[in-house]
Amino acid sequence: MATVTTHPYFKVESVAGHTDVPHAEKERLIGQVFADPRMPSYLYGCYECGICVAACPSARFYDFSPRRIAQAAARHDVELLFQQLEEDVWECSQCFSCLRCPRGNNPGGIITIMREVAVTNGLRSAKVALEGYSRIIYKIMSTGTQVSPDMLQPDAFPDWGPEVKDVSENLSLWRRALPPETHHTTSTGWDVAESTILELYVIWMETGALDMIKEVDSGIHMILEEIMEERLEEEGIEL
Amino acid sequence: MPNGRVVVIGGGPAGIAAARTAAEFGVDVVIVERLAYLGGRPIEENYASLTPYLRSAEEAIGEMVSPLLAMSNVSVRYESKVISCTGEKGDFSIVIEHRGEQESLSAASIVVATGFSHFDPGRETQMYGYYEFDDVIALQDLEAMLKSGQVVRPSNGEAPKRVCFVQCVGSRDRQIGNEYCSKVCCGVASKEAIEVRLAVPGVEVFIFYIDMRMYGYWESQIYWPAQEKHHVQYVKGIITEVLPKDGRLLVRGEDTTMGRPMEVPMDLVVLSVGMEPSEGTRAMAGVLGIAQNKYGFIEAVNPPLDTVSTSRPGIFAVGSALGPADLEDCVSTGGFAGAKAASISLAGVGV
Repeated sequence: MATVTTHPYFKVESVAGHTDVPHAEKERLIGQVFADPRMPSYLYGCYECGICVAACPSARFYDFSPRRIAQAAARHDVELLFQQLEEDVWECSQCFSCLRCPRGNNPGGIITIMREVAVTNGLRSAKVALEGYSRIIYKIMSTGTQVSPDMLQPDAFPDWGPEVKDVSENLSLWRRALPPETHHTTSTGWDVAESTILELYVIWMETGALDMIKEVDSGIHMILEEIMEERLEEEGIEL
Repeated sequence: MPNGRVVVIGGGPAGIAAARTAAEFGVDVVIVERLAYLGGRPIEENYASLTPYLRSAEEAIGEMVSPLLAMSNVSVRYESKVISCTGEKGDFSIVIEHRGEQESLSAASIVVATGFSHFDPGRETQMYGYYEFDDVIALQDLEAMLKSGQVVRPSNGEAPKRVCFVQCVGSRDRQIGNEYCSKVCCGVASKEAIEVRLAVPGVEVFIFYIDMRMYGYWESQIYWPAQEKHHVQYVKGIITEVLPKDGRLLVRGEDTTMGRPMEVPMDLVVLSVGMEPSEGTRAMAGVLGIAQNKYGFIEAVNPPLDTVSTSRPGIFAVGSALGPADLEDCVSTGGFAGAKAASISLAGVGV
């Protein structure tokens, strides 16, 4: 693939948190990004005008630029894209403010694809980025709801004030005080129907969504796979 | 039949449009042409195709020339130059010279369509080595290559693997004195970039620019397809010098939007040269006594709403004799001046 220069300017090694890999491996990974069927509608040409950066909340706080993502992709700059795969893409908040691009580009969407490639290939950056999310992944994939009330323990959220302790001690009571009956739950965010859970398990397994996390968190993957297979077997559902 | 002839100086696209329009009013028209054929710069410099529709230049210009020459009230003095002009609007007396022989012509009005010449990159203050390196060429050189169907490195006849265009050569430069934008080079370079991508399998094409000026429809007609469909790489940053290295050319510049310096080896460097007033335009300004602007182009005296009247009543200027112009501008000003010129012959009064 074409690169603008054979000596691109990179983040210095002490800042760059990833280790280098052979160029062929970078070609392979970036090749997966470009092979994604969404890519043609996410990337046209880049004016390098910076409207996406102006709109980007992350760009205000990090050395991050959606323009550089689109530019590197438009130029097929494999070396730079690899660095972005290992660093920059995790600084995006996926808010898609960058969709205001006059050319119709979707830098946030390119980042979605790049993150997926990083996750499915178990890149170091994906492991680090998702480290704190293993409980969330477990909750979502096993129950279909994200943060459940019983996860909100006072020691985990000391900045939430003294009431959190009271609430967590009488959680079940507080939850029953909520008007919608579907919120009378503690181990899930809301009441999830059995049929919904089964449907979710089928989707996670059939689409490969479950296997996406195999490389980044093999422990969680193993547990979830077991839960899903067992539950589906009980219901006599074969995949 | 009205009296008073229209003399058109220069037989390029603007001159042809002026002559055709005046002749369609029934006025006698004489075209004075420096070369042995009509068509102007696109034909003289072997343009392959016209921007933005990529039509063959020979074919498209040919379609302008043939019907003009078929008109009984149009005649052409080939290989001729105007050497003097006296009189005033409605009653000019012109002397033309053809291979040492002189001829006098009366004219009610005159249209100056003497055009532009390509900026000579030897005058560039940067170090591009146009006269030093075989593989540094200009837009019109590449046009001629595209027309011949052979895009190769002049140094060795091999197909280039990597080609770049350097924009604004001789334009927008205070040091050179050409402070103006030449209007068409962004579009022409992008058009040629597409043609190079189509002509040479696997070639990488870069365009180094200050800012891309694709006014109006050229945006989606040329710029977007060049970038999106033909994967021409646009890099904002101008090359400062071209150096020979290992049989290739190293171009040095800054990739400004990426914030990094760059040195990239190229096989063919194309200089996007701008427009300057042609020798004929400069000469006619003197012979006809019409005002020029500081760059040497003919000055339109009532811009922006009258684009063709000069400082001398009865004399009009058209096309790129007035300054950088695309073909649409040339044909539009040509037709406008042709009508104004004809009206002087027809009415015998000023317009």
